[in-house]
Amino acid sequence: MSSATQKSSSQDALLRSGIDRSLRHPVMFFMTSGAAWLAVSLILGVISSAKAHSPEFLDGCGWLTYGRVQAAHTSALIYGWGFQAAFGMIIWMMSRLSRQECRASGIILTAGHVWNVIISLGTLGILAGYGTGMPWMEFPSFTWPVITITYAVIMVWSLVQFKVRPEGHVYISQWYLLAAMIWFPWVFITTNLLLHVFPGNPVMAAGINAWYKSSLIFLFFVPIGLGMAFYLIPKVTGRAVHSYSLAKLGFWSLAIIMPWAGMQKLTGAPIPYFIPYLGAAATVLFFIPAFTAAVNLLRTAMASGDIVNNSPALRFTTAGIVGLIVMAVAAVFLNLPGSTLKLSQFSLSGYGFEMLSLYGFFSFVAFGAIYFIVPRITGREWLSRRLIKMHFFISIYGIMLIAVVAIFGGLQQGVGQEMFDQPWATASTRAYPYAICITFSWCTILISNIFFFMHLMVMWLRLGRRSNHPTLLVSAHGHSPHGEEGDIDNAGPGTAAAH
Amino acid sequence: MSFRTFFLSLSASFGVAWLAIIIVPYFKMRSLEPIVMEEGEGTNAVYIPKRAGRIADGAEVYGENGCYLCHTQLVRPTYAGNDLFRPDWGGLKAIDDRPDTRRETNVYDFEGEQFAQIGVSRMGPDLSNLGVRVEELYAKDISPEDWLYRHLYNPRFKPEDRDSKCPSFRFMFDESEIKGNPSDDALEFAGKNGGEITPKPEAKALVSYLLSLKKDQAVPSSLNFAPSSGEEEAAPPAPADEPSPAGA
Ligand code: HEC
Repeated sequence: MSSATQKSSSQDALLRSGIDRSLRHPVMFFMTSGAAWLAVSLILGVISSAKAHSPEFLDGCGWLTYGRVQAAHTSALIYGWGFQAAFGMIIWMMSRLSRQECRASGIILTAGHVWNVIISLGTLGILAGYGTGMPWMEFPSFTWPVITITYAVIMVWSLVQFKVRPEGHVYISQWYLLAAMIWFPWVFITTNLLLHVFPGNPVMAAGINAWYKSSLIFLFFVPIGLGMAFYLIPKVTGRAVHSYSLAKLGFWSLAIIMPWAGMQKLTGAPIPYFIPYLGAAATVLFFIPAFTAAVNLLRTAMASGDIVNNSPALRFTTAGIVGLIVMAVAAVFLNLPGSTLKLSQFSLSGYGFEMLSLYGFFSFVAFGAIYFIVPRITGREWLSRRLIKMHFFISIYGIMLIAVVAIFGGLQQGVGQEMFDQPWATASTRAYPYAICITFSWCTILISNIFFFMHLMVMWLRLGRRSNHPTLLVSAHGHSPHGEEGDIDNAGPGTAAAH
Repeated sequence: MSFRTFFLSLSASFGVAWLAIIIVPYFKMRSLEPIVMEEGEGTNAVYIPKRAGRIADGAEVYGENGCYLCHTQLVRPTYAGNDLFRPDWGGLKAIDDRPDTRRETNVYDFEGEQFAQIGVSRMGPDLSNLGVRVEELYAKDISPEDWLYRHLYNPRFKPEDRDSKCPSFRFMFDESEIKGNPSDDALEFAGKNGGEITPKPEAKALVSYLLSLKKDQAVPSSLNFAPSSGEEEAAPPAPADEPSPAGA
C-alpha cells in the first residue's frame, strides 16, 4: 500500500468516526426506543392474536378488546418500531454517504422525543377507544399534523446533507432513501387531507386507505430496507455491487410500478372498475423490483459466503433479502384476480403478508443495520455472540410460521369463505389452527427479541466490550469481515474510494 | 443523473399513479350523479337511498372498537367472490312468497358514513345485510335491538354459538343491582353477577347503526345485477354483466 493511499484512508477513517460520533445520540435514541416499541407491539400482538381464537382471554374490559389491541399492535409496530428504525438508518446512512458530520443532532434528538410522545398518545388513544377506524391510520386524527411536522424536522437535515455533499456519483442506496423520504410525506399528507379534511365518497375513502397501507410497505419500508442492504452488503464483504445497471433497473421498476398497488383490497367494491385491477397487477409485478434487487444483493453477498455466516449484520440482512423473495412470491400468489385474490382478499393472508413485509423483510434488515451501526457509534462491541444467534434463529422460526399462515392458512380460510352452501362456521373452523399458529409465532418472535433488547440495553448503557475486534458469530481466526484486525471499518460500499 | 432529473422522474412516475387512481377518482366521486328510476320502479324520479338510525355515531363506535378487523361490509359481485350466493348476505334468498332480494353492494349503501367500513378480514360474517337478518331470521321472540344487545353482551349466549369468536362487548353495558322496579331500558336478561343490564350510549348508537345495515330496499335496475330482481327461481344470481356503475 502506498503511503498516499494510507494517508487518505486514515483521513477517511477519521471522517467516519467523526460522523459516527456526531450521530451517536439521535441514532442510539431511535434504535433503542424503536426496540422498546417493538416490545410493546409484540406483547400487544400476542394478546390480540390470542383473543382471535380464545375470545374469553382478558375479556370484558374496553381497553383490551380485540379491535383496539390489534389496531394498537400494528400501529406500534409501524410508527413506533418501523419508523424509528428507519429514521436511525436514514440519518446515519445519509451522513455516511454524503460524507458529512451531522450538525443538527440536538434538533433531531428533540424531534425524536416528540415523535415518541405523539406515538404514545396515539397508541393510548386507540386503546382508550378514540381510534379513527381506518386501518393503519387508527391514531386519533389530532396526531397526523404533528407526525407530519416531526417527520419533516427529522428528515430535512439528511436532505440538506445530500444537497451540499461533495461532488461525486450518487450511490444506489441514496436513491432508495431519497425516494422513500419524498414518497412518504406525499402519501401521508394526501391520505390524511383527503380522509380528514375533504371528506368525499366513503367507498373511495376506503380505497385510499388501502392504497396508503400498500404504499407504506412498498414505497417506504421496502426502499429503506433495500437502501440499507445495498449499503451493508458491499460494505461488509468489501465487494462492489454485482451489477449496477441491475440495481438501477430494480429501483426504477419499483418507482414506476408500486404507486399503483393497493386497491385490489377493494375488488368488487363500487369504485371504478379498473382501479382494483391495476392494484392487483401492480402488486403481482412487485416481483420485478424485488427479484432484481434480491438477486443482485445475494450475488454480491454469496461471493463471500463465510463472511455472511460470520457477520451478524450480514446474516440478518441476507435473511431479510430472502424474506423479500418470499414476500414477492406471496405477492404473486395471493393477488391473482379471478383465482386467489378472492380467497386472500378477506382472509388471514392480508395480515400475514403485511407481517411478512414488516418483519420478515424490513425488520431483519433493520436488525442487521443495528448490529452494524451500534458498535460504531458507541465505540463498544456486542457482548455475546450467543445472544445474537438466539435472536436470529428464534426469529427465523417465528417468521417462517407467519409466512406459512400468510400463504397457506389464508388460502385455506378463503376457500372456506367461498363455500357458500356451507354455514359460515366452516370458514372459521378452517382458520382456527392458523390463528393459533399466529399466536405461537408472535410468542416465538417476542422471545427472540428479549435477547435482542437485553443486548441492546447493555450497549446503550455503554457496557459493551471495549475492543476493536468485532463480535462475530463464528470464533474468529484469520480474516475479519470488517477489514483488517483492529479496523472495524473498511472503505465504502463496493469501491475503496467511494463514500 | 442530477438530483433535478432524479426528482422530476420520481415525481412523474409517482404523480401519474397518484392522479389516476387517487385524486381524479376521489374528486369525481365526491358528487354522484343521481340515478334515474325507470318506469315501474317506485314513485320517485330518482333513486333515494333510505337509511334510518344513528348512522354517524354508530359508525364511530364500530370503528373505535375495531369491528372492521373481523367483519366486512361488502357483498362482492360474482366475478370477485361467492358472497351473493349466500342465502342472507346480499339480501334474502326467495322464501315463500317473498322474492329474492339479493344484490351486490353499491355506493349508496354507505349513505351517511364518512368512511366505508369495507373491512380487513372475515373472521366473522359480512354485516352489510345484518339488519335484515336480525329482524327476519334471528329475533324470534325478542326485539331486534335486544337480540343485538344480547349478542354484544355475550356472543356465546346460545348453546349453538358456544364457539363464537366474536368478542364480548360487556364494557358497553352497565350492570347494577336490582332495587325495586327495573329501570326502563333494562334488558331482559341478567348480567354476569345477576344484576340488571342497561346499555350505555355507545351500545345504543352501535345497535342502531347495525340495524341500519340492510339490503332490502328495491334499487333501480341499473344498480341491480341480480337476475330480473328475483322472482320464482331460487337459482343464484347470474354473473354481473356490467362493471360497477360508480364513477362511470
Ligand atoms: C375477533 C374478531 C371479531 C371482532 C373484533 C368482532 N367480531 Fe363479531 N363476530 C365474529 C365471529 C367469528 C362471528 C361469528 C360467530 C357468531 O355468530 O357469533 C361474529 C358474529 C357477529 C354477529 C352475528 C352476525 C350473524 O349474522 O350471525 C354480529 C352482529 C357481530 N359479530 C357484531 C360485531 C360487532 C358490532 C363488532 C364490533 C363492536 C364485532 N362483531 C367485532 C368475530 C368478531
